[in-house]
Amino acid sequence: MKKISSLYVIDDDKIYHFLLKNLFKQNGIDAVSTFFCNGYDAIEHMKGNNTEDVLPDLILLDVNMPIMDGWQFLEEFTATANDFAKMPVIYMISSSNNDVDINKAKEFEGAVKGYFLKPICKEDLQKIFVL
Amino acid sequence: MKFFDNPEIRDGDSLNAFYKKLLDQVPDLIFKMIWKEDDLYSIVFASETVNEIYEITVDQFKFQTDVFFRERIFTEDQGAFIDKLEESKNNLTKWDHRFRVQLPKKGLRWLRVMANPERKEDGSVSFYARISDITDQVEQEEQLRLSDERFQFALKAASEGIWDWDMSTNIVYFSAQLMKILGKKEKEAYYPNTFWISRIHPDDMDNYQKVKGDHLKKKTTTYESIYRILTDSGKYRWVLSRGRTVKFDAKGRPVRAMGTLKDINQLKEKEIELGNTINIIVSQNNRLNNFAHIVSHNLRSHASNLKMLLDLIKTANEKEREEMLQHLESISDGLTITISHLKELVEIQTEIKTVKEKLNLRHYLKNILNILHNEIKKHGVTIEINIPLDVTVDYNPAYLESILLNFTTNAIKYSSPERQPMLSYDFEIIDGKKALSVSDNGLGIDLKKHGNSLFGMYKTFHKNQNARGIGLFITKNQVEAMGGKIEVVSELNKGTTFKIYFNEED
Repeated sequence: MKKISSLYVIDDDKIYHFLLKNLFKQNGIDAVSTFFCNGYDAIEHMKGNNTEDVLPDLILLDVNMPIMDGWQFLEEFTATANDFAKMPVIYMISSSNNDVDINKAKEFEGAVKGYFLKPICKEDLQKIFVL
Repeated sequence: MKFFDNPEIRDGDSLNAFYKKLLDQVPDLIFKMIWKEDDLYSIVFASETVNEIYEITVDQFKFQTDVFFRERIFTEDQGAFIDKLEESKNNLTKWDHRFRVQLPKKGLRWLRVMANPERKEDGSVSFYARISDITDQVEQEEQLRLSDERFQFALKAASEGIWDWDMSTNIVYFSAQLMKILGKKEKEAYYPNTFWISRIHPDDMDNYQKVKGDHLKKKTTTYESIYRILTDSGKYRWVLSRGRTVKFDAKGRPVRAMGTLKDINQLKEKEIELGNTINIIVSQNNRLNNFAHIVSHNLRSHASNLKMLLDLIKTANEKEREEMLQHLESISDGLTITISHLKELVEIQTEIKTVKEKLNLRHYLKNILNILHNEIKKHGVTIEINIPLDVTVDYNPAYLESILLNFTTNAIKYSSPERQPMLSYDFEIIDGKKALSVSDNGLGIDLKKHGNSLFGMYKTFHKNQNARGIGLFITKNQVEAMGGKIEVVSELNKGTTFKIYFNEED
């Protein structure tokens, strides 16, 4: 397993950004983290860089977001990515534990590695980062 | 003298023998009776068959008159028997009468007497008479009458009409009950097939023709169709028509079809009503589901933040802790806002604020624009108002404020940084309903992607207080609670137009 050195957090809740930063810090995760408030901003950011080399190793993706939600992001992202070997590992993070979302996550099985329910705890981080 | 060119007949005796032979072939009782002026009568001739019909000898019949008039004939029928005979004698009209006899061997039999009276010169009347046993015929008639009675009774009891279509003449028989369904006099009738077809509801015609065609083409063994038929009151009623072809010609083409027609108007109207109720329940259920989703999702996101924060605080140092406490305040604020949104939604759903007043639309809009004055100035928004001065809407004041405020703030919030924001308010009357369009030249929404969820809470209700989801959801609920609806037209990077239809009766 490749070491995670860079990651994106895509979540519209700015307090959550802060909380995650602190959680990473407390658990000794030193990957370079970039935070986005919705899928659209993340896509635009990647288009701006215009090279797959800068793709992160990991994406933590919220389901419910304005402008472009998690599923729309996935559609767009998987449609534009041309080399799946270089695809980041993607985990969905949601505050609702419902069948619709869980079934939807199965649709993206190839791209999505797992589905976590908020709040994220230390044990979840251990699974995600294989600490 | 020649008799029928028959060599057998040479004289009176041979003629008698000839007639006797002929008479023997007739199963009926033949007799001649003479009624004299003094009311005495005599039977001058009777055929041998009297043995069979009356179970007496010819002599008994001729001379024991009581046997003919009294003994054999049913007591109840004796009066009518003699009355009819006298009537015939006096008027010289045909004597034709049915009566019952009780015979020693055969028991009860129905007989029919027929005779033509002739008045002779001496004033007497001669009857040339014939009596036949009609028991079998009467019994059959009785059976037929009973079964017809039962049929008529069943027809009435079942409230079903009968139709019988003769395709060779294209004439249809309609039973009395069927005429009654049409609102006509309860009397059976015959009409050309077109009489019926012209009364079928135009919207049901295609299906009616298809079902009928399928049956006539032998695709179905029975015909069954539900449609509306025009009654004489000018109103349509739902009916169920059922039938089948009962006769085909030599080439296998249908020539006659029969069936029943039942008035199912009440049933069908209930069914339609039920369907409407189900639709209402489904939409209410969807709203409730949506609501349950918001409650679980939004409260949960705050709760999970709270839990994470508290976990972090446990291990944080003094300086970090101070920063975290500030965030605690943000979480608390967010939670308060969410709860107030939920409260607002509950109030709409439970219709606490549905009081309506006549409100001047332009006046209300100006008030909102005053409230948002600073925002409008900050973003340099150009505003255009095309609402006549005197336009009023029958609305809840708090809802109208909230709706106008929400669409206006949204338009400002999602304006495009690439151009000067423009906002236009246009009033129009569409199909007799008052409508207000709020158009902007902002970022726009990709309706193909977001159309379904635009007003739903599922995707667009977000944690941060600036998100547009909650606002649109509340607005939509308010507009619908007032009996109106919202339509949206939008193009990415061009702008968005929301059209608010006020209430139906406006």
